[in-house]
Amino acid sequence: MVADIPWTIELKPKNLSEIAGNKKVIDSLKRWILSWERTGSNKKAALLYGPPGTGKTVSVEALARELDFDLFEMNASDIRTGQAIESIVGSAVTEQSLFNRKKIILLDEVDGISSQKDRGAVQAITKVIDKTNYPILMTANDAWDPKIRGLREKSLILNYKKIGIRDGVPYLWQLLTKKGIEADVSMIKIIIDRNEGDMRSIINDLQMLTTGETELTFERINQLAWRNRKEPIFDALKLAFTSKDCLNARKAIEVADVDYGMLFEWIYENLPRQLSDPYDLSNAMEALAKAELFLSRAKKTQAWQLLSYAMDLMTAGVAMSRKRTKPAWIPMKFPQRIAFMSRTMRERAKLRQLGNKIGKKCHVSSQDSIKIFIPYLKIIFKHNEEMASSIERWLELDGEMTTYLKS
Amino acid sequence: MEAALWTEKYRPTTLDGIKNQLEIVNRLKNFVKNRTMPHCLFAGPPGTGKTTAALCLANDLFKERTMDLYLELNASDARGIDVIRTTVKDFARIAAITEAPFKILTLDEADNMTADAQQALRRTMERYTNTCRFILCCNYSGKIIEPIQSRCAIFRFRPLKIEDISEYLTFIGKKENFELSKEGIDAIIELSEGDMRGAINITQSSASLTNKINEKTVYQVAGRAKPGDVKNLLNLAINGEFTKARDRLRDMLVIEGLSGTDILKQIHSEIFKLEIEEGKKIALADATGETEFRLVQGGGGEIQLSALLAKISLIAR
Repeated sequence: MVADIPWTIELKPKNLSEIAGNKKVIDSLKRWILSWERTGSNKKAALLYGPPGTGKTVSVEALARELDFDLFEMNASDIRTGQAIESIVGSAVTEQSLFNRKKIILLDEVDGISSQKDRGAVQAITKVIDKTNYPILMTANDAWDPKIRGLREKSLILNYKKIGIRDGVPYLWQLLTKKGIEADVSMIKIIIDRNEGDMRSIINDLQMLTTGETELTFERINQLAWRNRKEPIFDALKLAFTSKDCLNARKAIEVADVDYGMLFEWIYENLPRQLSDPYDLSNAMEALAKAELFLSRAKKTQAWQLLSYAMDLMTAGVAMSRKRTKPAWIPMKFPQRIAFMSRTMRERAKLRQLGNKIGKKCHVSSQDSIKIFIPYLKIIFKHNEEMASSIERWLELDGEMTTYLKS
Repeated sequence: MEAALWTEKYRPTTLDGIKNQLEIVNRLKNFVKNRTMPHCLFAGPPGTGKTTAALCLANDLFKERTMDLYLELNASDARGIDVIRTTVKDFARIAAITEAPFKILTLDEADNMTADAQQALRRTMERYTNTCRFILCCNYSGKIIEPIQSRCAIFRFRPLKIEDISEYLTFIGKKENFELSKEGIDAIIELSEGDMRGAINITQSSASLTNKINEKTVYQVAGRAKPGDVKNLLNLAINGEFTKARDRLRDMLVIEGLSGTDILKQIHSEIFKLEIEEGKKIALADATGETEFRLVQGGGGEIQLSALLAKISLIAR
């Protein structure tokens, strides 16, 4: 069997609009290149910096393709002594390319320049920037590395940020769909959280998790998650369940390595075991319910200042509910609500399709069809072949739907 | 192809075919006679004939042109403002090119429309009154914004009478060749609470088991079709098995398709029947009401309802 091409290569964005996130900074990059082209720029180079997997190199490659420029690239795998740079890059920035095409110079990973091995490299690049006839782009994880101070001063600085849930989820969902893989949004969120928004490692993880599968399941993610599980979430839960004062409990939000929505799920899952006395449980659940109300109001009215009250209630509100339950060591469980949604993803999709079919013919919404008709259809399909097959034909059910109703 | 589900097969297609809600039907027949009608709001519980009445009205008015001149949209499936601005508007603004005086657009489950969509609808209703009349169907007229209510003639559909359901089920029995005992009918009527669609569904699935339906068949079918019954859920909570109750709740919401409000309503109807101290029942009703209020305010189903279950555990202890 031929090994799969890594998705990070196969599905690499071909143009700028396909890149997830960092829209603004990519826009300024494009504007800068275009103005360089027209009028020249007071900065002849740009330094793209940000954490790994945020799209720095990819956006340069896509830009070159989109504008139909040649891309001259040099990265850390090449020899980058001052001498090499001056001769190779130095000629690239002055010589015209074949057929007089436009050109972008990309020096990848400049903070990876070794001060020992790549002696004189930074000074060489500085010189190259001064005499270049083409825009020079450099990438780095850390723009403030003292090593590259000289480069920073000559460059336009562009900051790439981690890909968050908002940009990441639709992007990855689309990517998985393209690959014929079904996934629940909550699963994608977990992967983004786990990889701290590093797109490259997210996509690698996704490929690994779905090889030979048609579905991204919680069970598979779970194997991965516990292998190198991070402790902060457990510290955060401890704060929320056992703190004696509000300030301390509230720290759970900062300590946790997941977003507040996910932390909420962790607390909700483990609450009944951690605060098992009915009196404590009822009070703590009430605090969570109120937190959720604040969250939904914040979302609905875009009044995000309400978020902080929600956070108070879900942490301190829970911690202060402990009046009668004695602290004891009880292991924490991954939020089962999320696992449940993943487990039932197919079933829910089937149900929705079925609901749709019934709803159209029977003058009810698809949601109500599930509630009103499916329980009875199940009885009919189990006991009366003849009636079942006429219903099957009339509703135009596919094989899978029929199987579902018979099960 | 003949409808295979009896709720459709036996749905009346003309106003004459509707055997109940006669007051309403007579007013609708007047609309047909005079070939004019106002915008209408049909309010009433499920299975009382709202959608059927709208459909029959359109059939009587438009005859074979119904397909072109009548549109039914379900607001729960298409409830966003976008649908109002596109689909609804497109249908409403183009006049019917026939002798028909107007088109009819029915918005089913209109109480599930967002307030924004309702606002958009209000303008559309006003602007295209000449070309299109609207029929809004809903369970609670209270959830329809005032300005829309004031533009509509309001019709209140009542749960069907026992005789009406009984007569209709007997009629279906004759057509479909099964026997339905008197006790069987009573059982169906008790379980369906005046909801004709529910009654017919129970009947058809009972008939799939046997052609001699008695009360035992009916209870057997209903018991299997509605494991989502909240008694079970309440008992788990009362016995302090919170996590089990929570799992059960999740199943009802996600797989069985019940809404948070559905479940709350069922809980509410059980509270006074519970075997607990009388005073505690009031506390439970209070807590249930508060939860329903929160759902209206936008709380999510599972969290708010499990908070209620925790409270029930505590109070009923």
